Amino acid sequence: MNNAIELADVGWRASKVFALDSVTIRVPRGAIYGFLGPNGSGKTTTIRLFMGMMKADTGAIRVLDREVPREMKSILARVGYVPERPHVYPALTVAEQVRYHASFFRLFDDGWARELIDRLRLDPDQKIARMSKGETGKLLLLLALSQRPELLVLDEPTEGLDPVARRDVLTAVLDYVSETSATVFISSHLVHELERICDWVGVMDGGRIVAETPMQHFKNGTKRLRVAQAPATAADAPFTLVSRQSENGVGSTETWIVRGWDASMRYYFEGAGATLRDVVDLDLEESFVELLRSSRPSTKLGS
Amino acid sequence: MYQPMLFVHWKQVRLLLIPFVVAAFGLPMLAVQGLGADATGGVSAEVYQIVSGYQLWLPLFPMLAGAIGIVLALTAWNWDHRLGHVYALSLPVARWEYALLKMGAGVALGLVPALAFWVGAHVAAASVALPAGLNAYPNQLALRFLLAMIMSYAFFFALGSGTIKTTVWVVSAIFAVLVGSELLGDVLVLYFSGLEGVSFLELATDWLVEMGGPFEVFVGNWTLIDV
Repeated sequence: MNNAIELADVGWRASKVFALDSVTIRVPRGAIYGFLGPNGSGKTTTIRLFMGMMKADTGAIRVLDREVPREMKSILARVGYVPERPHVYPALTVAEQVRYHASFFRLFDDGWARELIDRLRLDPDQKIARMSKGETGKLLLLLALSQRPELLVLDEPTEGLDPVARRDVLTAVLDYVSETSATVFISSHLVHELERICDWVGVMDGGRIVAETPMQHFKNGTKRLRVAQAPATAADAPFTLVSRQSENGVGSTETWIVRGWDASMRYYFEGAGATLRDVVDLDLEESFVELLRSSRPSTKLGS
Repeated sequence: MYQPMLFVHWKQVRLLLIPFVVAAFGLPMLAVQGLGADATGGVSAEVYQIVSGYQLWLPLFPMLAGAIGIVLALTAWNWDHRLGHVYALSLPVARWEYALLKMGAGVALGLVPALAFWVGAHVAAASVALPAGLNAYPNQLALRFLLAMIMSYAFFFALGSGTIKTTVWVVSAIFAVLVGSELLGDVLVLYFSGLEGVSFLELATDWLVEMGGPFEVFVGNWTLIDV
């Protein structure tokens, strides 16, 4: 099998208001997979399901070729996990926490942990309760990386960190990946951050997966078009029209957001009697917002 | 894994444990304070037994053991509850194994006040001049103290391992059984005259604390000096 994480039609219901609905995710081995979604969309719940912390109501989950939750012990021995909120014991010092953590992981690399303490500028004698958010974030990453995991699961790892700490964390992750070819699953709503490092992207909204595609495809396939004499409908277009809007609210020149765009599709406008004035690449954040807009037909999103 | 687990629990409970260790050491000595001073001067064995068996201090022994058990149990789960059990669940150990390691760490820490109590009981026994016919039982008393502490620890450890919701359910269920059995007794008396005078609540509590029930250790003989 070529996937590090596989969720097939996974369902989980917390209440009448929130549920995961038929979630299917495939994270290829060796990929850096960005898991995007607005707050409350179900990202952390999804992670907790495949980390075996909660049990899915329906569907099947496999991580590193093993079944969740039945083979959780052997899975967790190979997974480094950085949760959304710090989960380490506040009364311990950095060195004590590292020792405690190491006792559970057979492959824990003490030498590398010491090196990371230096590189991430952490004080081994500092009490965790007195550490800043950035320092705690770095400690969590240090613990996860020192396990030498095959799969690194990072749930909002840079949330609330200052730019320096954020850069340190991401650099440490990238260094590890370049050295080991490990798979990284990184959840965030900080879209720009993922744009730089991920090669796959999955988008979740309202407990559903609304897109899962290679990053390049996701970014390149979504465009903003300026169309003069725009046709009334685009039902026969070779691309997907996500939204359309008249420029300044009036006139026949419109701005279209389209998905699945390819340069050869210009011919469509000639055939429809329209003129394609401009094609603008959207960055990941714009693509993300437009994707959410299209997946929520009755909801207006800000851009 | 056990040693780091023990260290983490120790780090949490050490300051709380200090007054308990002092109390465990001092309580047996306070209990015999002033006794036996004039034992050779004719204090009868009967009087001595009454004094040592029913004096004010002795009910404090099981209470102290119970309190230490509670403190150890609550601190065992304190951080895990505060951190939503996320850390524990991300470790590659089975849940039962994790709970067992934690349980074992608490029992080991409980040995510290138990040892203090054992030493205190020996010192207390040695400080009293016993008249003929009376004996000191510091080892037995210390063993009872240890067992009571473990019993209390195990009970509250089990309660504390669940969520607050689970704990409320369990405590409510115990309460409901006790109260329900009493109400049931009142109803059954209407149909079965032979049950008159039988208290189901009393039977239930008797089962828990006497007749070999799990809490019997708390109500047994806690005297240090006996015939």
